[in-house]
Amino acid sequence: MFLKRLTIPLIIVFVLGLLAFVQDYVPHPLAGEFREEMTSWSRIIGGFALFLGAYSLLHMHVTRIRRKTAGWGYSVFVFIGAAFMIVVGLHNEGLGPLQDIEGGTTWFDWGYDNIVVPCGGTIFSILAFFMASAAFRTFRARNLGAALLLIAAVIVMFGRVPISETVGQWVFGSSAVFPKLTDAIMDYPNLAAKRGIMLGISLGAISQSMRILFGIERSYLGGD
Amino acid sequence: MAQRQAEMRQFNTVRWTIYILVALVVVLPYVLRLPLPLKFTPSRDVRKLYDRMDSLKPGSHVLLSLDYDAASQAELQPMSRALLEHCFKKGLIPIVMTHWQSGLGLDKQVIDEVANKAKEALGKEVKSGRDYVFLGFKPGYSNLVLNMGENLKGAFDKDYFGQSTGDMPALQGVTSLKDIDMGVDLAAGSDVGMWIAYGSDRFNFPLGAGTTAVQAPDMTPFLDSKQLVGLLGGLRGAADYETLLDMPDGGTTGMLAQSSTHVLVILLIVAANARLLLGRSARKRE
Repeated sequence: MFLKRLTIPLIIVFVLGLLAFVQDYVPHPLAGEFREEMTSWSRIIGGFALFLGAYSLLHMHVTRIRRKTAGWGYSVFVFIGAAFMIVVGLHNEGLGPLQDIEGGTTWFDWGYDNIVVPCGGTIFSILAFFMASAAFRTFRARNLGAALLLIAAVIVMFGRVPISETVGQWVFGSSAVFPKLTDAIMDYPNLAAKRGIMLGISLGAISQSMRILFGIERSYLGGD
Repeated sequence: MAQRQAEMRQFNTVRWTIYILVALVVVLPYVLRLPLPLKFTPSRDVRKLYDRMDSLKPGSHVLLSLDYDAASQAELQPMSRALLEHCFKKGLIPIVMTHWQSGLGLDKQVIDEVANKAKEALGKEVKSGRDYVFLGFKPGYSNLVLNMGENLKGAFDKDYFGQSTGDMPALQGVTSLKDIDMGVDLAAGSDVGMWIAYGSDRFNFPLGAGTTAVQAPDMTPFLDSKQLVGLLGGLRGAADYETLLDMPDGGTTGMLAQSSTHVLVILLIVAANARLLLGRSARKRE
């Protein structure tokens, strides 16, 4: 029992993890074949993950509707939208699923163009309102660090839009002042910070991968 | 209690005033069809990407990975349009694909739109399989890129329209990513890093990128290390590319709304800090 629950999964992780790592450095056709095999497996596993995701989403919204929690009406739209796209996708203008349609616009295309695309764009564009409101409420020069951050942000925000060139021309006689300041902030402090963060994340990811590979980190098995 | 209610009322009033101001500065330039009084110089990183694309010989293969969906289309779709226009104008062969299934419809839209426009502008029909390739979507992400690096036609045996890639004229001379002359990834996620690690670095082709404005600062290490040959950052990146192409479009028309919104946010920050400083000095006097 213990062998099944712990040892076998650890052996699978170690062997496949090691092979996945080594194949990157082996220029042999076998390594390529192994990679293609693994790609197929990852697609199959991805398919199961899709079912799990769909189940989890629908289950959450069923619960919201059943309990009549605040905003439960929106959950009804999840089912209406999903049902509409599934039905028109499977019906496929009478041809049935997975059949190619030459030219023309299908009901599925109509749903994508007129519901999915505008709604997706709208949700993302709402960020502009929140960001403006958050900038007013939280972007305060309370200490030196916050003041420096604020000044850098204002310069970058201004230097990134064309009006900065017009203003630069009026005030300093050169349209390149603000864009150059922006580039300097991006090329030095920003670059240094980003590189440091990237190195830190990469080292963390390598150490965590090694811990998983050698069975030190086992939380993914469901234990503690 | 009453004080709390008054604070909430004030909070809501400020919040809604800001929302209305943002809506006005974004919408008015479009509704009033205001002309763009602003002239701007294309940024250094956009120019680098443009010059690299422009230096390719007609018939060269450019891989365009359009990795975004509707949420980021406002920033990235104008970039796709400009890059495809550049390809058709120069006689380059774009090979378009996506790692984002939800963006497939947008990719199809932009290809159809630019192909039709090119037909009018160039007076010749731009045909799928001959002048461009639309591979569509396939799952696999980094594994898919690795497979394309080994055998592109094996990874995509058919294009989006179901045509076999094996004997496709547009893919003549291309067997793997090693035969690609240039790659550009337009990404709303972490796809650029993946393309560098598993694509351009490994199979040795120049890679450019286009990202949302929020992500652009994350790309500076790759530009500095020359792992990216150039970068289009946000809507401004698209506008810069359109300027270089001399084909103003969605990116350029968005510049007035973007300029006014950025100025509004800066004014809001200044106002909030002025209020903070005045409050501090008033407390000190007390």
